[in-house]
Amino acid sequence: MERAVPPTVPLGQMEVFQALQRLHMTIFSQCFSPCGKFLAAGNNYGQIAIFSLSAALSSEAKEESKKPIVTFQAHDGPVYSMVSTDRHLFSAGDGEVKAWLWAEILKKGCKELWCRQPPYRTSLEVPEINALLLVPKENSLILAGGDCQLHTMDLETGAFTRALRGHTDYIHCLALRDRNPEVLSGGEDGTVRLWDLRMAKEVQTIEVYKHEVRACPPHTLFSLLPGPLLCLDLLLPSPLPSQECSRPHNGRWIGCLATDSDWMVCGGGPALTLWHLRSSTPTTIFPMWAPQKHVTFYQDLILSAGQGPCVNQWQLSGELKAQVPGSSPGLLSLSLNQQPAAPECKVGPARSCGGPGRPGVWAAQSPPSCLQVLTAAGNSCRVDVFTNLGYRAFSLSF
Amino acid sequence: MSSESSKKRKPKVIRSDGAPAEGKRSRSDPEQEGKYYSEEAEVDLRDPGRDYELYKYTCQELQRLMAEIQDLKSRGGKDAAVEIEDRRILSCVHFMTLKKLNRLAHIRLKKGRDQTHEAKQKVDAYHLQLQNLLYEVMHLQKEITKCLEFKSKHEEIDLVSVEEFYQEAPPDISKAEITMGDPHQQTLARLDWELEQRKRLAEKYRESLSNKEKILKEIEVKKEYLSSLQPRLNSIMQQASLPVQEYLFMPFDQAHKQYETARHLPPPLYVLFVQATAYGQACDKTLSVAIEGSVDEAKALFKPHEESQDDESDSDAEEEQTTKRRRPTLGVQLDDKRKEMLKRHPLSVMLDLKCKDDSVLHLTFYYLMNLNIMTVKARVTTATELITPISAGDLLSPDSVLSCLYPGDHGKKTPNPANQYQFDKVGILTLRDYVLDLGHPYLWVQKLGGLHFPKEQPQPTVIADHSLSSSHMETTMKLLKTRVQSRLALHKQFASLEHGIVPVTSDCHYLFPAKVVSRLVKWVTIAHEDYVELHFTKDIVEAGLAGDTNLYYMALVERGTAKLQAAVVLNPGYSSIPPIFQLCLNWKGEKTNSNDDNIRAMESEVNVCYKELCGPRPGHQLLTNQLQRLCVLLDVYLETEIHDDSVEGPKEFPQEKMCLRLFRGPSRMKPFKYNHPQGFFSHR
Repeated sequence: MERAVPPTVPLGQMEVFQALQRLHMTIFSQCFSPCGKFLAAGNNYGQIAIFSLSAALSSEAKEESKKPIVTFQAHDGPVYSMVSTDRHLFSAGDGEVKAWLWAEILKKGCKELWCRQPPYRTSLEVPEINALLLVPKENSLILAGGDCQLHTMDLETGAFTRALRGHTDYIHCLALRDRNPEVLSGGEDGTVRLWDLRMAKEVQTIEVYKHEVRACPPHTLFSLLPGPLLCLDLLLPSPLPSQECSRPHNGRWIGCLATDSDWMVCGGGPALTLWHLRSSTPTTIFPMWAPQKHVTFYQDLILSAGQGPCVNQWQLSGELKAQVPGSSPGLLSLSLNQQPAAPECKVGPARSCGGPGRPGVWAAQSPPSCLQVLTAAGNSCRVDVFTNLGYRAFSLSF
Repeated sequence: MSSESSKKRKPKVIRSDGAPAEGKRSRSDPEQEGKYYSEEAEVDLRDPGRDYELYKYTCQELQRLMAEIQDLKSRGGKDAAVEIEDRRILSCVHFMTLKKLNRLAHIRLKKGRDQTHEAKQKVDAYHLQLQNLLYEVMHLQKEITKCLEFKSKHEEIDLVSVEEFYQEAPPDISKAEITMGDPHQQTLARLDWELEQRKRLAEKYRESLSNKEKILKEIEVKKEYLSSLQPRLNSIMQQASLPVQEYLFMPFDQAHKQYETARHLPPPLYVLFVQATAYGQACDKTLSVAIEGSVDEAKALFKPHEESQDDESDSDAEEEQTTKRRRPTLGVQLDDKRKEMLKRHPLSVMLDLKCKDDSVLHLTFYYLMNLNIMTVKARVTTATELITPISAGDLLSPDSVLSCLYPGDHGKKTPNPANQYQFDKVGILTLRDYVLDLGHPYLWVQKLGGLHFPKEQPQPTVIADHSLSSSHMETTMKLLKTRVQSRLALHKQFASLEHGIVPVTSDCHYLFPAKVVSRLVKWVTIAHEDYVELHFTKDIVEAGLAGDTNLYYMALVERGTAKLQAAVVLNPGYSSIPPIFQLCLNWKGEKTNSNDDNIRAMESEVNVCYKELCGPRPGHQLLTNQLQRLCVLLDVYLETEIHDDSVEGPKEFPQEKMCLRLFRGPSRMKPFKYNHPQGFFSHR
């Protein structure tokens, strides 16, 4: 049956190399454009691809619209982190942060606006930048990574104004508390440190691996919980007595961090744990064996992802609400696009719109053209797009 | 006439008689009849003159009597009536006489007539005789003139003149005394002489002919001798010149002979032959071209070619009709037809491509006449005998050594789209089953033969094209060489791999640290199906990188209790296309790229960053370097694994490698990159 043999794609040297590159691609970072219509994704080869969400989500979406509209080489090494302001996209890789104008990118001009290197002391190896954090109140950008410091860069002048030292190993992640001018950082050394930006010093250190969750009476927590969570507290089952955060076989490192008022959730080598910051006590341990690489609050849920193909949805009580499988064997980043599909791009940072104070956003505002999606990326060349929290709609692909 | 006249007379008589004579007549007729014969005889007796006198007398008497009667009547007396009666009786007697006379006259007339007739007939007969005689005379006269006018043959013959004749002719022929006077005799003699002379000339002619024949034969013999001299001279020349030519590296004769044979090649093979020869002469002295097969068969093939094709198509139609009835014979028929369809041209072109290390790639190109495609069979011979490692079985096998020379060119499918229709007719499912026997119809072979098959066209026109062939010759030859060399290199490497030694050449030492603890313990070939079944090779299979033309191997690297399995895909296009490794580590549970980022990083370290491992050109060290790097990577992986403080006892793998940092980045990569002069490991 010569005719029935499936046409095997003739693979030349270039095709094989490209196939292998795609196969070994890792997407480390992703970021929505200020208007919410575009998604930028950075991979381990230093490329940034821009996907058009509006095209991919439209009813007449074809296979091509799930491909990037533009791909450019941003860094020599991997693109570990990206954030976006209403005009700029910042991307960070090995030892440098670059700024790109969204308007330029969308016009397919791929010249960086500027490139800055934080002052490093070592010269043998360039430390990477694992996390970027925008501090809108003081118009600055915080960079953290391989040199165990938090560098603050003034966006007005481009100068590095201060360096916060304290971590003994490299820093994985950063999180900003939205009321106090405080920044949280989690690192390979197993600590979560709380920094006061005004005083420029460390105010609190939590060594996660040392803690365990004791069986505590629920009423002690009531006063501490934020409003919307109160109703749920009644349902909280009492945690098992003396559950340990530490999982020595996985290591101590803190891979992900998210905060919401007085609450923080962090995970990594130790188990994913919900903390009350003011009392520095863990309240819930989420029973997930695999190390988590990204966590975020979403309404009254916590979304986390890590080793394994699933996006996990947790109740605050520690119950696993759902596990939604994606297409990658391991996930490194989640991103929520909570922008309404506005005609003009004049919205602040994505984070300020979200939060637990607005329950039911997903269900209430879902017109057909809604761009409110969750995207997940990791150890593959695909970015999974979840239009509803329940299932994966499709994948964008490099 | 006489009878007519007699008839005429009678009525006359009767009329003259008048009505009163009628009654009597009927009464007297039988008397008259009875007397008739006697009357005839009577006629002869009587004298006509006297009868005439009698007649005259009777007539006078009658006249007198009439006149007396008239007289009497006119007088009218009574006695006159008796007289009249007497007279009437007398006149009646006279009338009787008259009648008799009349009859006699008639008879006489008749007799006269008869006599006249007889005489006339006699005259006629004489006249006829006379006419005949006259005719005869005339004829004879004509004959005589004809004879007189006859031209004798001898008149046409040119004779010698009389004087000459008498001078030259011998006396027994000329006989001057007789012939001088008699021109007839003279002519005869002259003719005799002529005859004599001609006989002599004929004799002479015959003699000359035989003479000529003899001379011709002689010429023939001499010619033969001369022609036999040429090859002998040639052979002497060859024997004498070949060593000289060989000595001077100028194989003119051989080339000449080849060109002679090349004329009988089918067009595609001819194109290939010409182009390969040209290329060999111009660019590549290591390429030698030869033609194999029987020229005679090729010649024989040339003529009845078209007929046989027609027959075939006819019988095809027949066959389809009888398909259902004759099952058993049909199989045989189909088999014959298949053979006929897959028949190749008796001539084939041999290319010998010599590589640097004296190994030779023998390529034999065939042309399938009925399918209009070319096939190739390959064989590799090496200068020194190779010990074939078990895992290297397929490396140099004729079936796979040239597979995928160009991407996707497996050589298992016919490149001519029209063939499929032909196959359908005779029930061939695919050419794949026949490839071992016929050779592989690679696309590049068609191109070398100048055959261009446009894709997705049911019936393309295919013409052997020189420019197509020449444009592919150089790249193809280079590819062929590279292929053979890389295969031979692999062949050698596999031998040591099977013994657990990863051969690293001195110019690649800088890629690896001096101390590598992990060891390769196993290197075996596995089947494609087994590879697909492996649980950690799913990604490669899904990416379409695990075609069935590739070669598959399984390597096992060990260090202590850790066992690293590596499934290797070796593309036929090695070493320009790198081998692909998929890893599975068995140490504290099973770790693959789906549950351990560092295993994934290790894979990408060998698969994606292979370019730095190629070593010196043409990169035949790639596979061994990849394996060596795998060993190094396993070392790094095991040594940098975080020690679980809760577990008692020392670390199984103490950290010996120098690393700047153990982990880096969000996915906590280990430092897999070796920096050569300093000897430390860093992150990529």
